Amino acid sequence: MVVALLAVFTAISSAQDWIRTGTGLGVERVRLAAADFKASNSDPNNVNLLKTFNDVLWNDLDNAGIFDLVSKSFYPLQEPGQPSEINFSAWNSPPPNTSMLAFGNLGVAGGKVTVQGWLYDVKNEKSPQVLGKQYSDNATSDAVRVIAHRFADEIIFRLGGGVNGIAETKIYFVSERTGHKEIWMMDYDGANQQQVTHLGSISLSPRISPDGSRLAFSAINKGGWEIMMYSFDLNRIVAFPRFGGMNLSPSWSPDGKIAFSSSRNGYPNIFVVDPSGGNSHRLTEGKGPDVSPSWNRKTGSQIAFVSGRTGLPQIYTMESDGTNLQRLTDQGYAVSPNWSPNGQFLTLSWMRKYGGGEPGSNDLYLMDIASKQWVQLTHDAGRNDFPCWSPDGRHIVFQSHRTGSDQIFSMLADGTNVKQLTFKGANTQPNWSWK
Amino acid sequence: MAASTDTGIGMYDADIYSEHAQLRRPLAWSFGLHVAFAAFVVLYATYIQGFRGSGWGSGGTGDAMGATLVSSVPLPANPEPTTNVLATESKGLSKSQPAVEEKEPDAIPIPDKNTKVKPKPVISATKRKAEPEPPETNQIPYGEGGPVSGPYTMTAGGAKGGFGFTGSGGDFGSRYAWYVEAVQRKVTENWLKYEVDPGIREASRVYLTFDIGRDGHPSNIQMEQPSNVPSLNQSALRALQRIDTFGPLPSDYSGSKVSVEFWFDYKR
Repeated sequence: MVVALLAVFTAISSAQDWIRTGTGLGVERVRLAAADFKASNSDPNNVNLLKTFNDVLWNDLDNAGIFDLVSKSFYPLQEPGQPSEINFSAWNSPPPNTSMLAFGNLGVAGGKVTVQGWLYDVKNEKSPQVLGKQYSDNATSDAVRVIAHRFADEIIFRLGGGVNGIAETKIYFVSERTGHKEIWMMDYDGANQQQVTHLGSISLSPRISPDGSRLAFSAINKGGWEIMMYSFDLNRIVAFPRFGGMNLSPSWSPDGKIAFSSSRNGYPNIFVVDPSGGNSHRLTEGKGPDVSPSWNRKTGSQIAFVSGRTGLPQIYTMESDGTNLQRLTDQGYAVSPNWSPNGQFLTLSWMRKYGGGEPGSNDLYLMDIASKQWVQLTHDAGRNDFPCWSPDGRHIVFQSHRTGSDQIFSMLADGTNVKQLTFKGANTQPNWSWK
Repeated sequence: MAASTDTGIGMYDADIYSEHAQLRRPLAWSFGLHVAFAAFVVLYATYIQGFRGSGWGSGGTGDAMGATLVSSVPLPANPEPTTNVLATESKGLSKSQPAVEEKEPDAIPIPDKNTKVKPKPVISATKRKAEPEPPETNQIPYGEGGPVSGPYTMTAGGAKGGFGFTGSGGDFGSRYAWYVEAVQRKVTENWLKYEVDPGIREASRVYLTFDIGRDGHPSNIQMEQPSNVPSLNQSALRALQRIDTFGPLPSDYSGSKVSVEFWFDYKR
C-alpha cells in the first residue's frame, strides 16, 4: 500500500515539472538589472520623458515572465548612462549580483528625443555587449512609450531564445462603457484604450486576424446575429457575406480561414469559410449546439470547440476537416477553449462541479492536449472566462468578475502575476493579437 | 523430522511432551499477532480507505477519456537557489543546528557493574567534527562565479545535460555566454520528461549534435550515441525538433553557424 501511494505522488510531482517546462515558464530566470536611464543633456523636457521611459521599460521587463529583476534598492549609487561608466564589479557581485544589465540615456533636442540603450552581460567583462540600440522620434510621451516597448522587446527577444516580446501587442475586447457593447482595443498593458466599432447595437467576440489587418466579430443587426468584418487598413467595416440564422464566435486559422458557429441549417454547427467569406462548408452535424471554435494556432490542422451534444457544454477537438472527434473534458461545465501558440495546450473556463448544491465556480484551467492532464490557474476569484493566449505563449488574458464587475486581467501562463487592465464600465471577451 | 519422531517414539515420550509444552507459548503469540494483524487490515480498509472514495487519484470515467488530476494548486514557485542565507533551499548554504538532547535533571543513570560498554565521552560543541559535505545536487549555484565556461550543464527534473559549442573561432562559448545560456534554457523548457518511459529510473548518456544557423534555426539534428532507453532517445530528439528557433546568432559573430554537442543523463 505504501509503495503504491508513493508511486502516485511521484507521478503527480513529475507531471507538474513538465507543464512548467511546456509553458516556457518555470525554468531558471535570467537575473537582470534595469538601471534608470540618464539624461544626456540638460533639456527641461527630459525629466518627464525619462520617468515615462523608465516606468514602461521596467514594467515590460517585469511582465515578460523570464526575468528575475533585481530590485532598484540594490543598485550601486553610480548608475551608468554610457558603456564607459560601467563598474563591472559593482554590478556582478552582491548586493545586485546581476548577470545582465540594461542601461542607457535619453535626451531631447529640437523637439526630437534620442534614446541610446545597451544590454550588457556584466559577468563577462571581456566581451560584455549583448545589445546596443539607438532610437529617435518626436519628443512626446507616446513616442517614448513606444521606444521603451521596442527596447524591452529587443532584450526579451535576445534573452528569451528568439521568442518575440509582447510589449507592442494589442488586446481587443468588448466594452459597455458607452452604453452599448462595442469593440475596443488597448495596448497589452492596458494603456491607450480606444473604441473600434460604433454600431450602437451589440457587438461580441472580437477576433483579430493573424496579420493584424482585419477584425472579425459577431454583431446583431436587422437579420439577426451575423459575422462582421472591420478593416484596420480602411478603418471601417467592410463587406462580409450574410449567412442567415444565428452566426457567432468567429476564429481565425493561421492561414486566414474563419471558423464560426452558424445555425443556418437549423442547429448551431461549426462552419469554415475563406478569408473573403466564400466556400463555406460545415464541419459538425447534429443538434449540437456546437459553438466557440478555436484553431490550433501552430498547425492550423485542428479545431477545439464547445458542444452541448451530451447535455452540459464540454470541450471537443477535431481535425480541420471535421474528422477524428475527441472529447477533452469529462465533467462539469466547460467553455471558451483557446489554443496555445505552440499547439501544445488549451486554456479553458471550467466549472468542474456543476449543479444544485455544488460549490463550483468558473475557473481557468490549462490542459495538455496529448495527455489530457490539466492544472487550475485561478482560485477563489469570482467567475473567470474567455481566456486567450498571448503570442509569446507565456501570458493569458481573461475576463474576471473578482472585483464585483466584469473586467479584463492578464497573468502569466502558470497563473501568477495577475494584473488588472481595465477599470471603466464592464469589459469582457478579450482577444490578444497574434504578434 | 517425521522419521526421527517415529523411530524415537518409545524412548523419548517424555521429551516429546515437554517439547509440545514448549511450543504452546510461541503458538499463542503467533495466534495473537495474526488476529491483531487481521484486525488492523480490516480497520485500515474500512476507515482509512473509505474516506478516499473509489475514484481517488484515477480521474474521471468519461466515455471518451479520463482527465487526470495534476494538482490542486497551480504551478509552484520556481525553487531558485539564492545566496540569501535566510531564504535559500540549498542544503549547502545553511545547516540546521543539531537538536539539543534534553535530559531529565533528576535522572541519575544506575551504574551497571556487568556492563562492558564504556560511557561515551562527551564532545563539546567546539571539538565536534565537521559534518560530512552533503552530496552534490547537480545544481549550479545561481548567480555565483564569473562568466560561464564550457562545458555548460543544465538540469531538468532529475536529468542533467551539457553542451559543447564549436564556433568558427573556437571561442563562441566565452564570447557569447548569454547566447549559450539562452540555448540551454530553451532546450530545458522543451524537453518533456513525461515522454520518457516512466518505468525507467536511470539511463546511459545520450549524445546529440545539431547546428544553429544564423537565423537561430536548429538543423542537422543527429544522434551521435543513443542511450539504452529508446524512449529517452526519442524525447531528446523531439525536444530539439520542437524548437523553431533559438534566436538569431549574435550579430557581430562572423560564422554562418555554430555546432552544438548536447548530452544528457537521465535519472528519476
